[in-house]
Amino acid sequence: MKHRCLVPIGVLAIPIAIAWLGVPVAGQAPSTAAATKAAPAKASTAKSTATKAYTPPRTPDGQPDIQGFWTNSTYTPLERPNNVTKEFYTPDELEVAIKQAADRETAQTEPGTTADVHYDFTQFGLDRSQSTFAKNLRTSLITNPENGKLPPVTPEGQKRAAERAAARKTQGGQYDAVENMPIGSRCIIMAGAGPPMMNAGYNSNYQIVQGPGYVMILTEMIHDVRVIPVDGRPQPHSNVRQWVGTSRGRWDGNTLIVETTNFNGKNAFRGASENMKVIERFTRVADDVITYQFTVEDDATWARPWTAEMPMQKTEGPIFEFACHESNYGIANILAGARADEKRAAEEAAKKGAK
Amino acid sequence: MRTKLAVVMTAGGLLLAAGPVRAHHAFAAEFDVNKPIKLQGTLTKWEMVNPHSWFHIDVKGPDGKVNSWLVEGGSPNQLIRMGVTKNTVLAGTELTIEAYQSKDGNNKAVGRNFVLADGKRLFLGGSAPGGGGDSNSPAK
Amino acid sequence: MRTRFVTVTMAAVLAAGLALVVTTATAQTPGYRAPRTKDGKPNLNGIWQALNTANWDIEAHPAGPSPVRDLGAAGAVPAGLGIVEGGTLPYRPEALAKKKENAANRLKLDPEIKCYLPGVPRGMYQPFPVQIIQSPKHIMIVHEYAGAVRTVYMDNHVEAPADSWMGWSNGHWEGETLVIDTTGFNDLSWFDRAGNFHSDGMHVIERITARSPETLTYEATIEDPKVFTRPWKISMPLYRHVEANAQILEFRCVEFVEDLMYGHLRKQPSK
Repeated sequence: MKHRCLVPIGVLAIPIAIAWLGVPVAGQAPSTAAATKAAPAKASTAKSTATKAYTPPRTPDGQPDIQGFWTNSTYTPLERPNNVTKEFYTPDELEVAIKQAADRETAQTEPGTTADVHYDFTQFGLDRSQSTFAKNLRTSLITNPENGKLPPVTPEGQKRAAERAAARKTQGGQYDAVENMPIGSRCIIMAGAGPPMMNAGYNSNYQIVQGPGYVMILTEMIHDVRVIPVDGRPQPHSNVRQWVGTSRGRWDGNTLIVETTNFNGKNAFRGASENMKVIERFTRVADDVITYQFTVEDDATWARPWTAEMPMQKTEGPIFEFACHESNYGIANILAGARADEKRAAEEAAKKGAK
Repeated sequence: MRTKLAVVMTAGGLLLAAGPVRAHHAFAAEFDVNKPIKLQGTLTKWEMVNPHSWFHIDVKGPDGKVNSWLVEGGSPNQLIRMGVTKNTVLAGTELTIEAYQSKDGNNKAVGRNFVLADGKRLFLGGSAPGGGGDSNSPAK
Repeated sequence: MRTRFVTVTMAAVLAAGLALVVTTATAQTPGYRAPRTKDGKPNLNGIWQALNTANWDIEAHPAGPSPVRDLGAAGAVPAGLGIVEGGTLPYRPEALAKKKENAANRLKLDPEIKCYLPGVPRGMYQPFPVQIIQSPKHIMIVHEYAGAVRTVYMDNHVEAPADSWMGWSNGHWEGETLVIDTTGFNDLSWFDRAGNFHSDGMHVIERITARSPETLTYEATIEDPKVFTRPWKISMPLYRHVEANAQILEFRCVEFVEDLMYGHLRKQPSK
């Protein structure tokens, strides 16, 4: 872990683009710094078939080796934007989109506005242009249905969504009690931790370590570990329910296929039911790229299964301990702040009433 | 230069890339947008913890009395990957912090902008030791 | 040396139905050589768990009542011969006073009650399984309790960049033994429920050696001159979970402690 050269963001963003595409942008020379951060990812990661067969190295016990530190950091949305019909951006269009997004992330906030009440992300290296980025020409992560959108929701799924919304209303305000706050703020689990494993806004990193018969995936955000056996054992009894479900893996050639069931339904991915089944496929298609594909099956929610794909780019470690709950002073501060506000409002109302 | 994020902010400040934008709502629930302050003091400790790090600052008031402040900053994890350690920002470092004070009026704030004595913003512009060298960290 | 194998159902201590092999032999089978991983290292992979009462109190101690009256015998403290060599911890006088204060206020102060990370070595003797996943560059120690995880770096050793609950671990092999050298601890974890504690200067050296196909010897030397007058050592077996399809399950306990920690900040219904 050597010291990094911390350079202004604008200089970094473009070299990262060049290193990935191998296409020179006028007036910019690729820097070694950027080249190391985002080594060229094959164009094949943006399409479903590899242009050149890559044979990954093997772990000592013979599994295809997908170990290391990986990121799925991306700006690509799950669903295709409404004003886009094609499946892929051109490399130029992607560069423009990335630059615009990077500019948004580093733009000035107006003092005295709510948006300004936050630490500056760029000072902590947390904006996307200061870390490795898994570039993706896709206009949506969803590859199937072909329109890049989620399939229609079933009547049962709609009913469940309405029931959940109604239940939330009876819960009260977001700061009335800790259980009304988002699960990520409570440090229980990052909402997108999955599976499927969706990108986080920052620290979107994973550490994969393989031992005999197991693949371990450590998600950086809120420090989540999945230990996936690849020995063909069955799923446990349906009474065993977990936030991340229970996963069973197997190797099919160079692809790790992981099936996850037994969700507890409390981290409902896009409104899914607890009977959701997620099938993930990890294929290392280059030294520095894993294609991560997932299919979601939940006929209680969607009329048909749907599939998405995102590249995972090799990045550097370490993943420092994200002991979220242990230093989560925000919960107490926010709740205390809300109670203080209420007390003030009640006192003012009482004063007015007394006049 | 300040930062605005066009991505989702959860109540605790954690980011998600998808979903509706909520403008830093939870920080505004904890800290008062109507109480911007400028703290000038000496760092006694930078707690490199998650989900947000904390800067312990001693601020000398106009009466000469020293008050301790606790200022919230970002996750240290990416900085650690960039080579920052607990020895990078040492106790005794002079800092000027533009911040918003906690709603409950305590000596707590969220730091908008952290500026060193030489005017450089903390962790940017080569303030990390070894900054300026070739960043060729080996992947582990 | 004759050994007697007894299969014991530990329903009272563990979830019902776990089967463990317990050997009454206390000494390591002389010269036991563990099978090797494919890269030639002693194979310590597996799901392991301690069978002692160190998590209640690492020192030798008698049984005692529950700190929570309504739990009755279910919350009472079982006795222990202790895992500390010499029986008791060599506290500095002022540190011993603090330990006693911790013990007297343990319901408020024990980090385990708040679902905080267990630290080292406590995570190794909590009543939860621990999985070792061994690869050449990294050995992972994954705890069922609170999903705690440790990365043991087997090469590219660097110093701890910052302090953490589980510390920063650099590992290497010495013959049959995995030696894990850990620093970079914060001062917030405890060694047990009895209030035994450490400072952020703690340095732990663990030595893990296979002693039979289904057991490991786990030793740890703790050095912390701010708190103790000399280094001290613990030693205990770790037992393999041999039941079919054994796995680490979820003990995501934050949910279980939120009302305890934040209930007093709940909005009360208007009168």
